[in-house]
Amino acid sequence: MMVSKSSDSASKLRKSHAEQASDEFGNLTQKIQQLKKQIQADRVLSIREKLEENRKKLEGHVSLLVSGAFSRNSISVVEANSQGEMLSSRIENPFCKINGFAQGSGDKEQINIQEVLFSTSAKLPYIEKIPPYTTWIFLDRNQRMAEDQSVVGRRRIYYDPHGSEALICSDSEEEIAEPEEEKHEFSEGEDRILWMTFKEYGLNEEVLNIISQYIGGTTSEIQERCYMLKEKNQEKHDQDFNGDEENGSEKNNLLERSLSAALDSFDNLFCRRCLVFDCRLHGCSQSPIYSNEKHSYSSESDEDGKPCSDQCYLRLKFVQDLPESSVVNTLHRPESKSSDEAVRTPVLPSSEEAVMHYEMGKRKVQKCTNTEPDSLVLASDDVQGSSKKQKSLSAQKTDSMVCEGFLNVDSSSNTEVGDIEFETGYKNELLMPNKDAEHLLYESASDKFRCPVDVPRPGLEDRVIYEAKGISHGTEVPVLKESTNFVEGQVEAVLNNSEWKPFEKELYLKGIEMFGRNRLFSCLIARNLLSGLKTCIEVSSYMYNDSAALPCGAIDLPSSFSEDNNKVDAEFMERETPTRSRLIRRRGRTRKLKYSWKSAGHPSMWKRIAGGKNQSCKQYKPCGCQPMCGKQCPCLHNGTCCEKYCGCSKSCKNRFRGCHCAKSQCRSRQCPCFAAGRECDPDVCRNCWVSCGDGSLGEPPRQGDGQCGNMRLLLRQQQRILLAKSEVAGWGAFLKNPVNKNDYLGEYTGELISHREADKRGKIYDRANSSFLFDLNDQYVLDAYRKGDKLKFANHSSNPNCYAKVMLVAGDHRVGIFAKEHIEASEELFYDYRYGPDQAPAWARKPEDSKRDDSSISQGRAKKHQSH
Amino acid sequence: MAKMAGLGCEPVVGSLAPSKKREYRVTNRLQEGKRPIYAVVFNFVDSRYFNVFATVGGNRVTVYQCLEGGVIAVLQSYIDEDKDESFYTVSWACNIDGTPFLVAGGINGIIRVIDAGNEKIHKSFVGHGDSINEIRTQALKPSLVVSASKDESVRLWNVHTGICILIFAGAGGHRNEVLSVDFHPSDMYRIASCGMDNTVKIWSMKEFWTYVEKSFTWTDLPSKFPTKYVQFPTFIASVHSNYVDCNRWLGDFLLSKSVDNEIVLWEPKMKEQSPGEGSVDILQKYPVPECDIWFIKFSCDFHFNAAAIGNREGKIYVWELQSSPPVLIARLSHIQSKSPIRQTAMSFDGSTILSCCEDGTIWRWDTVATS
Repeated sequence: MMVSKSSDSASKLRKSHAEQASDEFGNLTQKIQQLKKQIQADRVLSIREKLEENRKKLEGHVSLLVSGAFSRNSISVVEANSQGEMLSSRIENPFCKINGFAQGSGDKEQINIQEVLFSTSAKLPYIEKIPPYTTWIFLDRNQRMAEDQSVVGRRRIYYDPHGSEALICSDSEEEIAEPEEEKHEFSEGEDRILWMTFKEYGLNEEVLNIISQYIGGTTSEIQERCYMLKEKNQEKHDQDFNGDEENGSEKNNLLERSLSAALDSFDNLFCRRCLVFDCRLHGCSQSPIYSNEKHSYSSESDEDGKPCSDQCYLRLKFVQDLPESSVVNTLHRPESKSSDEAVRTPVLPSSEEAVMHYEMGKRKVQKCTNTEPDSLVLASDDVQGSSKKQKSLSAQKTDSMVCEGFLNVDSSSNTEVGDIEFETGYKNELLMPNKDAEHLLYESASDKFRCPVDVPRPGLEDRVIYEAKGISHGTEVPVLKESTNFVEGQVEAVLNNSEWKPFEKELYLKGIEMFGRNRLFSCLIARNLLSGLKTCIEVSSYMYNDSAALPCGAIDLPSSFSEDNNKVDAEFMERETPTRSRLIRRRGRTRKLKYSWKSAGHPSMWKRIAGGKNQSCKQYKPCGCQPMCGKQCPCLHNGTCCEKYCGCSKSCKNRFRGCHCAKSQCRSRQCPCFAAGRECDPDVCRNCWVSCGDGSLGEPPRQGDGQCGNMRLLLRQQQRILLAKSEVAGWGAFLKNPVNKNDYLGEYTGELISHREADKRGKIYDRANSSFLFDLNDQYVLDAYRKGDKLKFANHSSNPNCYAKVMLVAGDHRVGIFAKEHIEASEELFYDYRYGPDQAPAWARKPEDSKRDDSSISQGRAKKHQSH
Repeated sequence: MAKMAGLGCEPVVGSLAPSKKREYRVTNRLQEGKRPIYAVVFNFVDSRYFNVFATVGGNRVTVYQCLEGGVIAVLQSYIDEDKDESFYTVSWACNIDGTPFLVAGGINGIIRVIDAGNEKIHKSFVGHGDSINEIRTQALKPSLVVSASKDESVRLWNVHTGICILIFAGAGGHRNEVLSVDFHPSDMYRIASCGMDNTVKIWSMKEFWTYVEKSFTWTDLPSKFPTKYVQFPTFIASVHSNYVDCNRWLGDFLLSKSVDNEIVLWEPKMKEQSPGEGSVDILQKYPVPECDIWFIKFSCDFHFNAAAIGNREGKIYVWELQSSPPVLIARLSHIQSKSPIRQTAMSFDGSTILSCCEDGTIWRWDTVATS
């Protein structure tokens, strides 16, 4: 226990002069009481003042209202024709007058009731009322429940709608929240007492006890509060002291703040799955999953080599370099230059050059028997970078290798995606049909483009490797050799360096992380990250300087780098092999997924599911396994597939790899996605792409044009649903246009709530006799009561024309409503709440399943959420 | 937003000893059918009609006038063709040219706008999903009314054009029936609502004011108006632990009551920068014995000097609102008044108090000169 010095001395004092001490505490209680009275009196006074102030203000407002009421009088007098004066004329000639007692009657006097008889009444014509509903908010996508919307642990008071006044408090004892250990909140007045006592008497146990008696709260709470007050006062004191100094600096506040602080909100609020801030579906503060397959930025936009602005570094170099570079376009490295500089030499991506290379046809890019290791690396990396055949090259022994590469540049620009042929000592491996190479690039390799050199070369500095990597774009681009430029650049950089704020530096580093360390990208970095802060030239020269100054490995790269590359290579192999094996593997999984169908369309079934056998419809949560999912992978544990949002590699064994359907349009169980109750994903499936229609903008792509037919929730290819009075009960959902069997009608959206929450809400809805709960998966129930869409009004029927189906769409379970048969325009929609898709494929109707269906209790109103 | 509590935060509680500042006596007593009368209200909108009042009960809306000597004149009577309608609330409003309107609503959820100047229905608003518990008029712009409904929403209407301008409901909205709603006396943007979720919510329509203005010039069909949802209140107060069935602004403070035998005056202490946060400072309490059932509403005179409230046993308490500590102006009781009083109405200057009761009676009380 902490004992302050003063209380120490106080207790000593007490020991030696016991009587005196007790006097002292008697004094204390008196003082506290006095102060308390004082505070209470102050309070009364302050309330009086507040009310007085409020009264004065109100008086002003009321006088405004009075003048308003009187002016209304004059308006209508002006406009008064004979119209609209019935009330006034009634005042002249009332229906009847009922006499009262002019003097009034006392408490005990009996008075007569006078019946008001209505001789004539104006009729308010009958208007049909609408079926009851609770005001609801339209949701076009599911939304996770906000914490404050929970009804769990809250007391709810019901009243008996028939027996007027009776209040029924929450019905079950479990609903009564445990009275929490109430923490004492200290009011201002109590703080005053505490502070006074603390200052004058210190804090020993006796003092604490006395205070506790007067104020309440435990002694430890009081003690804590005292220390807090002490600190606060101290701070206040300090602030008073140097209050003026802190002004003025606010201007640069933003720039002085560190980037990580600024990025905090990004990390916390940005949903990487939906690419929106403050995602209502996946929530804030998602633990970020870092994919170990980094995507590189292909600098297409900058390939043209046009300066991005007046302040572009290209402009600077362009003018100076062009004559030289166009002539000297071999990669002869000036021997005199230090290795560092050579590596870091800016490259010039100029379209003119590219064209020139093209004209040159086969060109000997490089022939170097250089003993300097760095140039070797550069050379090999260049080839790697543009060819993407890292694997083959990595096999080379680089240290003393003599590399003779003949590069056939067949591209009109510098794009890394070109038809590239190699002739090297490893010709066999490298020679590939152009299309294949291209395909590879598109399909998988583009993200590996930036992958660094995979084979560590002994004796080489990391930095060199990085630099080489950065340059890898510009194979054909000659190394520039003007040392003057460098001197300039350095001077510039030094000048600028001093002006770079930490925030800007961090932004710059982020840029490097995103785009790569290459002066080619300084345009991009300047434009995207440092717009308005730094120019391209500044970034470029800073990068130069920075690279020189930075120690090795200044940029954080995943530690699993080399591993990663190996794996990537492995994946290469895999991709080239036919997909048959994968299909087989997937078939192995579908059994599990088949079951997920069964949870569809059954609002009252979740309890049984949660409590019993069917655990299959699982909520997916991205795993962050690096680099490969092992036995500990949460996805594996949970029984879900790894999805594209997982951190694991694409070659993960647990991944769902989409379909390769071409002509079937993924509308049958032939399609693995369809069979698994999933929608196709253009990111994953091979042929399921999204077109932009036939060029006429605004027109959604029509179905059946060879497009995938299993992305209907994703693409929101829904029907127009109308809301109207049902022919059965309450409200109903109707169809505007006719549809065919199995057409997608729309999504059943709502709030995502936990099963526990659904349990509680279900009880409340039971009382209101209306429930919009819909079991989604093992973790969530959809509640469309306050938030949803019109399909929530579709009624139950045992002979329905629609069915509901839970689909996995981009990692989320969503409920689609589909036509069970051909439905005419303006027909009312029904689906079976209880049984889900009766038309589910035969395989889904296993004996155990049908048994389960039979056991479901029949209930009068199926929409009701079932409770115990 | 929790209440402030502890030393130095205590409210001032009014004493139930009558001050005898004023004395009221029964001057009339009417029986208007057998069904309960849920609302009675004086016209404060137009000075010509300050002594005119309206009542609703069952499917009937009636307009009366208070005359000298306790005389009550019957001026108008309206009856809904739907016998099952049971009106719960009525409010005076007016057209933009000053024609007096009566706006009533009840169990059917249909808002009836009655043109009292022409003795006919002006418009009927269908939209609320359930019964309407209270309607109030914006005193500064009396063609704007708000309605509180069982469908958990509060809606702002333009009675002139028949447009539903705003719906206050959604993510931050009430979680059960809304029982009462009131316009701020001077800040046109602000309203307060309360209900069965035990909370009082303060809403601002400042950001939506263009829609309010648009509603006056709208010429297309009212149903085509782009009605907006206001989903988040600026302040949520947990002052009571049970149904809150009546709230009224008193300047920048709020008066509200639950079923705890008292009216509470409190100050919402908002934090400018962070809406939704703040605290409640309970300033005063006005005890009202035997007032522990819900749907008992109080009323104020035009100047907010006094409030009158009935109780379960047919007694009326008249409190001086703005004095500190609160003063009980009078306690009104009569041997024959035993039925719960659902609503009271105070006249412009507070000299007349009307009460309407569960048993279908209307009582008129007038001040008598105290010598």
